[in-house]
Amino acid sequence: MSQARFLIRRSLQGLLVVWGVITLVFLLRFITPGSPVDFVAPLDASPELRAQIAINLGLHQPIYVQYFDYLFGLVRGDMGFSYIRGRPASGIILSRLPATIELAVAATIVAIIFSIPLGVLSATRRHEPTDYAATTFSLVGISTPNFWLGIMLILIVSVGLGILPTSRRPIGLIPALEMLIFQLQISGIRTWIAHMILPAVTLGTYFTAMIVRLTRSGMLDELGQPYVKAARAKGLPETLVTYKHALRNTMIPIITVLGLQLGSLIGGAVITEFVFNWPGLGTLVIDAIVVRDWPIIQGALIVIGIGFVVINIAVDALYTKLNPRVSYE
Amino acid sequence: MPENTNHNVSRRRYLSYAGAAAAAVTLAGCTGEDVEDPGAGNGNGNGNGTDDTGTGDDDDTLRISQTQNPTTLDPHDHRETTTDNVLLQAYDHHISRDRDGEMGDGIATDWEVLEEDRHKLTIREGVMFHNGDELTPADCAFTINRVADDDVGNLQSPQQDQIAGVTGAEVDDDDHAIIVHTEGANPMVFSNLASYVPVVQESWIMDRQPEEVAEDINGTGPYQLEEFVDGEFTRFSSFADHWNGEPPIGELIIDAASESSSRVNSLRAGEIDVATAIPPSDASAIEADEDTYVGDAPSTRVLMLPMLYNEEPFDSVEFRQAMNYAIDFDEIINTVLAGFGDATAQPTLEGYFGHNPDLEPYPYDPERAEELVEESGYAGAEIELHIPAGRYLRSDEIAQACVGFIDDLSNVSCEAEIRDFGELAGQLLDGDISSTPPFFLIGWGNTTFDAQQNLLPWLTEGTSQYTFVDEELEDLISAAQTEVDEDAREQLLQEANARAHELAVFVFLNREYLIYGLSQRVEWEPRQDEYSLAYEMSFR
Repeated sequence: MSQARFLIRRSLQGLLVVWGVITLVFLLRFITPGSPVDFVAPLDASPELRAQIAINLGLHQPIYVQYFDYLFGLVRGDMGFSYIRGRPASGIILSRLPATIELAVAATIVAIIFSIPLGVLSATRRHEPTDYAATTFSLVGISTPNFWLGIMLILIVSVGLGILPTSRRPIGLIPALEMLIFQLQISGIRTWIAHMILPAVTLGTYFTAMIVRLTRSGMLDELGQPYVKAARAKGLPETLVTYKHALRNTMIPIITVLGLQLGSLIGGAVITEFVFNWPGLGTLVIDAIVVRDWPIIQGALIVIGIGFVVINIAVDALYTKLNPRVSYE
Repeated sequence: MPENTNHNVSRRRYLSYAGAAAAAVTLAGCTGEDVEDPGAGNGNGNGNGTDDTGTGDDDDTLRISQTQNPTTLDPHDHRETTTDNVLLQAYDHHISRDRDGEMGDGIATDWEVLEEDRHKLTIREGVMFHNGDELTPADCAFTINRVADDDVGNLQSPQQDQIAGVTGAEVDDDDHAIIVHTEGANPMVFSNLASYVPVVQESWIMDRQPEEVAEDINGTGPYQLEEFVDGEFTRFSSFADHWNGEPPIGELIIDAASESSSRVNSLRAGEIDVATAIPPSDASAIEADEDTYVGDAPSTRVLMLPMLYNEEPFDSVEFRQAMNYAIDFDEIINTVLAGFGDATAQPTLEGYFGHNPDLEPYPYDPERAEELVEESGYAGAEIELHIPAGRYLRSDEIAQACVGFIDDLSNVSCEAEIRDFGELAGQLLDGDISSTPPFFLIGWGNTTFDAQQNLLPWLTEGTSQYTFVDEELEDLISAAQTEVDEDAREQLLQEANARAHELAVFVFLNREYLIYGLSQRVEWEPRQDEYSLAYEMSFR
């Protein structure tokens, strides 16, 4: 099967998954206790006013009518109208997407930068202090809850030492780069980096620890393979043996996990966003849940689901580039 | 086992990665002292002025962090205090209030009752909107009509009940004034206009789509909008033409962090000047920091445990009184609220019009409580307290403590039922008392500083959430509703509060306190109505 045919087939499967997500998310509203009216209506609203609000929210229609209205609206890019915010939900959700993507990508970069070299070192220096340090870090990193790590980093690095800001995202990456390129001002990108470091480290620590383990075990497997002995026997430098041959073969499961984790980071950065007051999808979903802002909740969950599907397809497409032995059959 | 023959290269490679990361930290952190606000100066919409190194003494920007960002900038299309806290920096009410709730001159310089259903407000001349236009009485009349009338101003306002009884407003052609019409006598009308319905400009509203009104501001208030980034921050500058003079602080930024520790840490790191809604448990850490201090004020919200008058065992006055005697509320205030709370004895808060100063909270007396339970005939009763999860300041802990005290009685057992607020509110507000839980915790805010809004919704049959009916009590409340003589009305409301105390219509809990974390450079005495208004603040 060609790569194009494979991608088309995976995309169609992805569409089915997205449709499933949309349906589930839509039904979620009906199995959750409490009515959106309770959050829009004043606490002492009359039954008549509450009925009028229900009509305004479209809650008086049968479920199937609401479902198809919602589905066709999504096709047009309409995620509904947030009565609590008085604006279309799609605009609100899309405005939060860059912050979440920046954080997820930054956390992934942190993980890649630290975890792969550390995993390789740990494997090539097995039973040495470096290995013990790496495996200890890995154990601690996997065991440390995100929210605790985030709060500790804030208390130590920000409140105690005053090196980095505690929270917020005063500028996005794109505007910061625009300032750098068009106005030759470095302050934007510097502010962006300063505010990004602690959240990215917090979110990326678990991820880093996991990849260290994966890299270490994969490298140990590969370094014991006959082709590695052959490579060494023919006199290849150890760097080439380690990085060009062994590490490359180790990358398949790492890429798989990276892809899956990037997808989950987009939807799973909720706690980190909360602790660092990061204005992404996670904080938006929490705020929306508190006030039962259903168009926002549904739209955000669908965007997260779509992100997951797209990243998984991209990871599948990367396989053959990394290892020609993998086929699309 | 793999061999390792080339350690130097690996180390060098690894160290280069680590070096790159360290460089990033250095770039971002160590050189951060001269970080400029990327958004404040150039107006490109990119920044909120958060200075990475803290708030400098020469900084003329006041930074406030609250629990939520505004959901809209339309002052008539929301019900949240946090949204009001942003909008009231830029909008004025018709009548102003001081920090203790006393009414004073604002947009209106005089107000009087012409007839029982006609009320006149004289509008100040020379008041300017932020867009440079002068306020007219027509704008004030439009403002009231926009909230009261679904057909005016492109909005069905969720604030209609806040000016209940007002049918509309019109311009008084003879004076620079408006006439507000009500359904019969309405002694609350001026008080409501001092708490609700900020003044807007008719032409500015009508020239815009509702979505545009939700994202922009044109008020007469002391601060004018410079930048609004939805979900992130709102930035204002002082309005030089404000009718009460330009405020002392030049720039104001309000953002939100729903997690309280984020607000506390930002304050202690010097990134913000005012942090709202500080938990009592964090107050000591703020006081211990030499750069910060705690400000507090009693709020306009009271916590209570309503009991349904027609459900066993709460249909017995002895049993309801026993519930009040059973709880050691001073202990709860000291331990759960770290002293930030006042025990209450009646539905109405101290300082409100109609508050009865002669009433004292029920004392903690478990023996008396057990006797009353025996007298009620409900000894051995098993009751359940419905608690809206995490809704109010430490309300879960307060409710659990109440359950514990009641359960300690030898002849009553009590359990806690934690509920989702939306689900519980749905049962409370559906107008059907049969679906209301017999015993629940609720917080009730009333920024009109008048007892009527504490008594009427809960203790008058037919409202959407009434829990108690007593003929004498209802007569007193109804009489106060239409009594225009102030002294007579105050007497009626005080009697109603005394009757509510005697009947133990609720287990009276605490008046919430507002706790703020403040930078030492800020001078401010918090208000009772939960608004942190920047024009009342100054830098030392």
